[in-house]
Amino acid sequence: MSRYAVNSLLYRLKKDPEYRARFLADAASALAGLDLTEAEQAAFVARDMRRINELGGYLHLVMSVPGLAAH
Amino acid sequence: MGQMVFAGAMSHVLDPDYYDRACGAAGRQKVTECMAEIARMGERLTAARPDALIVVADDHLNAFSFNAVPAICVRIGRDVQRMVQDHAEAFDKVLDHMPERYPLHEGLANEILERGMAADFDLALSWEAPVDHAFLSPVNTMHGTRPLPPLVPIWVNSFVAPQPTARRCFAFGRHIAKVVAATPWRVGIIATGGLSHFPELSLPRVGETDTVFDRRLIHWMEVGEHEPLQALTADELHKAGEHEFLNWMVLLGAVSPARAAVRYFGELPRINLAAVEWSLA
Repeated sequence: MSRYAVNSLLYRLKKDPEYRARFLADAASALAGLDLTEAEQAAFVARDMRRINELGGYLHLVMSVPGLAAH
Repeated sequence: MGQMVFAGAMSHVLDPDYYDRACGAAGRQKVTECMAEIARMGERLTAARPDALIVVADDHLNAFSFNAVPAICVRIGRDVQRMVQDHAEAFDKVLDHMPERYPLHEGLANEILERGMAADFDLALSWEAPVDHAFLSPVNTMHGTRPLPPLVPIWVNSFVAPQPTARRCFAFGRHIAKVVAATPWRVGIIATGGLSHFPELSLPRVGETDTVFDRRLIHWMEVGEHEPLQALTADELHKAGEHEFLNWMVLLGAVSPARAAVRYFGELPRINLAAVEWSLA
């Protein structure tokens, strides 16, 4: 489990509006080159915050990324 | 000689709309009741004429990211800015209409930091970190439109394992009490967060709380029994969703052996809301 990769990505999605817009437009392309496992990559592409949390994503991040947050 | 003139602890998402969305009308009603008690606590704080207000709270991966997560960090400098989040959601949205800058009590912050290092507390310091709802929601609810005293924000790492122990947080609170006593200032202290919510930081368990655990903590605080609280383990706090109680442990160390009086306790599925005040006479 690459917990750092998952969480640094969540943090970037929360704090960097330009990157977030790129991700929302084309997630697979925005994720290219990141150090994610296949499961992590699939969870982000599916915007599945529950799965991302299971994979080590911090709860407060999965609950607060604008436009993607689980409630 | 300096004096601790007020001590209180309270939940820190204080927003009727947030709880309406999360828990419906009961959420709105209970947080409104809790906020009214916190506002009354603020009136008593103001009446105590504090020169400074120490706010012990946690970061929600806003001020600190993954380049460094300090166990305990003292905010120094002349003022602090509130966190800015574009398109804020959930608990971040609480900040949207709050003032953007707040004065700090530079003298007290420096004393806590410098004497802390001299007393073997390996504290982090920050001149730049912004404060989020954990600091500003209680502080603004307490003061309404009245001017705020200069703040001393202190972060405790409540969420990113490994956290400081409950015992260490209490010891740091003892340190704060000694520092305050050696200054000329009248000082208020609040700790924020909790009580039980978000057990194991697991999304499927958002909506569960541990009221039995909360009542045990409250009982020990009411009778001034602080030893069993210091013995709480990281695992116990994690399972019961009591991560933020570490902030309260700092306050307990600062006021021990004072006894707590519960001003509000309200159960909701998302969180058990609480407001507690200590008698310092």
